[in-house]
Amino acid sequence: MSTPKQEKKVSPPRSFGWMAEYSDENDLLDACRKVRDSGYTRTDAFAPFPIHGIDEALGIKPTILPWITLCCGLTGLTGALLMEYWMNAVSYPYIISGKPFFSLPAFIPVMFECTILFSAFSTVIGMVLLNGLPKFSNPVFTNPRFDRATDDRFFLWVDSRDRYFNGDKVKSLLESTSPLSFDVVREDESSDHVPSGLWKTAAAVVLIGLIPGSAVLRMRASQSEDPRWHVFFDMDFQPKKKAQQTSTLFADNRASRPPVAGTVARGDLGSSDPYELGYTPVPLALDASPTSVRMVSLTAADDAQAAKPVEGQPPTPAKSEAAGKAETPAVPTEAAAAKKDEPAKSEETKPAATAPAAAPSAAAAPAQAGPAGAPAAEELPWVSEFPVPETDEKMMALGKLKFTTNCSVCHGAVGDGVSLVSNRATELAQGYWVQPTSLHEPRVQVQPVGKIFHTITNGRGKMGAYGNVLSAKERWAIVLYVRALQLSRDAKLEDVPEPQRAKLTAATPTAATPAAK
Amino acid sequence: MVATANTILNDDDSLPSHWRAAAPVLMAVGAVSILVSLALCYLASPGDQRMVGFETFLHSYLANFMYCLTFCVGALFFVLVTHLARAAWCATIRRVAEIIAVTVAWWAVLFLPVLAMVLLTKSDALFPWNGEDNGLAADKLMYLNGKWFAVRAIVYFGIWVVAASYFFTKSREQDETGSAEISLKLQRYSGPLIMLFALSLNFAAFDWVMSLDPTWFSTMFGVYIFAGSMMAFFAFMIITFTSLQRNGRVQKYVNVEHFHDMSKFLFGFVFFWSYITFSQFLLIWYGNIPEETIWFKHRMEGGWQYVGLLIILGHFAFPMLCLLSRHIRRNRTIMCGWSIWLLFMHWVDITFMILPNTGPTSVMMWLGHAVCGVGMVSVFLSLLILRVGSTPLVAKRNPWIPEALSYHVM
Repeated sequence: MSTPKQEKKVSPPRSFGWMAEYSDENDLLDACRKVRDSGYTRTDAFAPFPIHGIDEALGIKPTILPWITLCCGLTGLTGALLMEYWMNAVSYPYIISGKPFFSLPAFIPVMFECTILFSAFSTVIGMVLLNGLPKFSNPVFTNPRFDRATDDRFFLWVDSRDRYFNGDKVKSLLESTSPLSFDVVREDESSDHVPSGLWKTAAAVVLIGLIPGSAVLRMRASQSEDPRWHVFFDMDFQPKKKAQQTSTLFADNRASRPPVAGTVARGDLGSSDPYELGYTPVPLALDASPTSVRMVSLTAADDAQAAKPVEGQPPTPAKSEAAGKAETPAVPTEAAAAKKDEPAKSEETKPAATAPAAAPSAAAAPAQAGPAGAPAAEELPWVSEFPVPETDEKMMALGKLKFTTNCSVCHGAVGDGVSLVSNRATELAQGYWVQPTSLHEPRVQVQPVGKIFHTITNGRGKMGAYGNVLSAKERWAIVLYVRALQLSRDAKLEDVPEPQRAKLTAATPTAATPAAK
Repeated sequence: MVATANTILNDDDSLPSHWRAAAPVLMAVGAVSILVSLALCYLASPGDQRMVGFETFLHSYLANFMYCLTFCVGALFFVLVTHLARAAWCATIRRVAEIIAVTVAWWAVLFLPVLAMVLLTKSDALFPWNGEDNGLAADKLMYLNGKWFAVRAIVYFGIWVVAASYFFTKSREQDETGSAEISLKLQRYSGPLIMLFALSLNFAAFDWVMSLDPTWFSTMFGVYIFAGSMMAFFAFMIITFTSLQRNGRVQKYVNVEHFHDMSKFLFGFVFFWSYITFSQFLLIWYGNIPEETIWFKHRMEGGWQYVGLLIILGHFAFPMLCLLSRHIRRNRTIMCGWSIWLLFMHWVDITFMILPNTGPTSVMMWLGHAVCGVGMVSVFLSLLILRVGSTPLVAKRNPWIPEALSYHVM
């Protein structure tokens, strides 16, 4: 704080002006009008309470604040609408309460609140700024009489920076308004230099305030081997036991408990009836104990792919693919010898490409083995004859009803895999969606009826199990209907009963007619 | 301020004499119109549809009754709330509100046909819960039954008539004495009375309008009616004072500042009404529960959907945008125009609440309903003029008058 510096700061003329004091608001209003009529514009009035008409008396023009508020309010309105449109209908289309993605009634509350928010903030901030605030000092504060402006006195102020300011004229003008007192008031001469300590503290606070944000940003952008920070524990640690964990609560120290007596099983009922299973369990397990039956169902579940490694083929390529991302691909034993281990070293950057490249050459496309022939499935003693009457119309009607209710949502009404659910999922481009199987594919057509029944009962791939939902009779009815659908797709004219042939030959396309009924 | 406290302006505050002369005519027009409406609805229907026509007339009568009643309850609330808030600005215009509020006693009489329908017949022509085999749960019928309905109606009107008469009588007393004590006393009573008012208006709305569809319910319904009432009341006040001033009355007592304030309230209640109406719709629409959405289902078919659209635009969007500006709110002619439009929209709104219960719209329905509306409004105006009589239209010796006169809207 050197002296020359201070002088430099003072060099522009310090503001000063005339201040007159009045005892009531009517005197003040009269004085204001006089000063206004004399052409002064840099004036101000101070009173302990708001005075009606003071704006007009001082010649203050109507404020533009309403327009600022209106513009900001409309900005809030349209901004909220666009934001919600973008969020709900573009960036993250997600069905909420069955409402459309762009759902105006649901948007209106947010639009309304944003309008209010923007209007309120712009009004307050605009009012503060238009009033010339924040303003840390005003010359009038130097006059001790001014303290009574918050109590019982009324003041009028004429600034020296007014375009027409002339000290003597202002003096005589104010004198003519018969004030209680009037003075020249000058801004005090104290320095307006902000102490450097204040700047430093402010800078330090700002810098410290940046730390949490930058730490979060850095974590967002980098990877780490360390376990995550648990700022909030959420549900990461829970006082519960998982399977295979120990517990001191029980004498045998096992956390997993056997089902209590009388527990009703849902499925795995221990039936060995081919009617309930879709295959004859005897060849696998000579006795019909529940354990054996379960073994059969387990074997059936992982049919084609599980069978491959037994034949000396490499393990599933999917696993080596996944492993290859982090470390050296677990190269299949025999096939790897031929192909060397070059992918591990030279092309570590794109292991996802190398692993499949190695696999098909050695392993005769294991991925296609399952869908194409399903040889392993053939090994099970599937039921190949319908255990229900094939020509029973009631059975067919039941099958149609149950198929339409349970299956057609995915497989489509004619079983071709084209359906509303599938179309919708494809439209949403959800990565995990698997196209439903067409029941007219050759591999499905050659499946024994027991296998189809088994698929309905236990599910397959993405398809859920329907054993709990449909009775065995209903499942067989569905198989019957599926068979009918398959027949109808490839039916020839000779398959159609004699009386109806004329109808078909009249219309040009023959194959599209359903012959099921 | 003190110097002007006893100033009584030389201002004409009597009712124009040709208005007074019009009162019997209006009464006759009203009575005839209501009968014509009954004839239109009942006789013009084909033989087997006559009961439906009669039902339409009953609904129309109730709707138009509610329309006129909302002015009275709006006025009563205004009188109560301005006393409660010790509002000074309204001292010069409150007398008119007091007179409108006190006419509520006449409307108790005009409610008698509805009450007679409920008590003397077992007809479900108006209120389905009144008929036999209405299929309602027993605990609902414990509330919705003729006798209890009548008791409640008497209580509601009792509260309103007592409150309105008390405030009017005391205000008239002040005209003689000029005592500030009276104002203080009224302020003290306004608090408890406003609570009673809120409860009675809410339940009246439930009883008289909401129970027309007794399986449907909305806890906001009372506020919905209240918001419309207040808007209608301020619109009516603006029209009244514009007409009075056109006839050379209350030129000095009522100035542009008072109009500006009434217009602000009008604007505020246009928006409040929209807020409440939309909130009610949003909650029901989002919840999507059949027993709640059915009310809007009835109002989204059979021609009512266009009425709903008109309400959105005419009761909210256009007035909301146009009344935003201070310059418009300070212009008496434009505001009078908007008030007339909003009174019409209020009528459409009340219609939209009640008439869809009779079925889809039809030309005959609108005709009968409009004629009944003209009749009921004529009766309302006639009763109002008769009630004014020689009562001065300004409470000149109210202690707040000087402040009300020197008042400026910032």
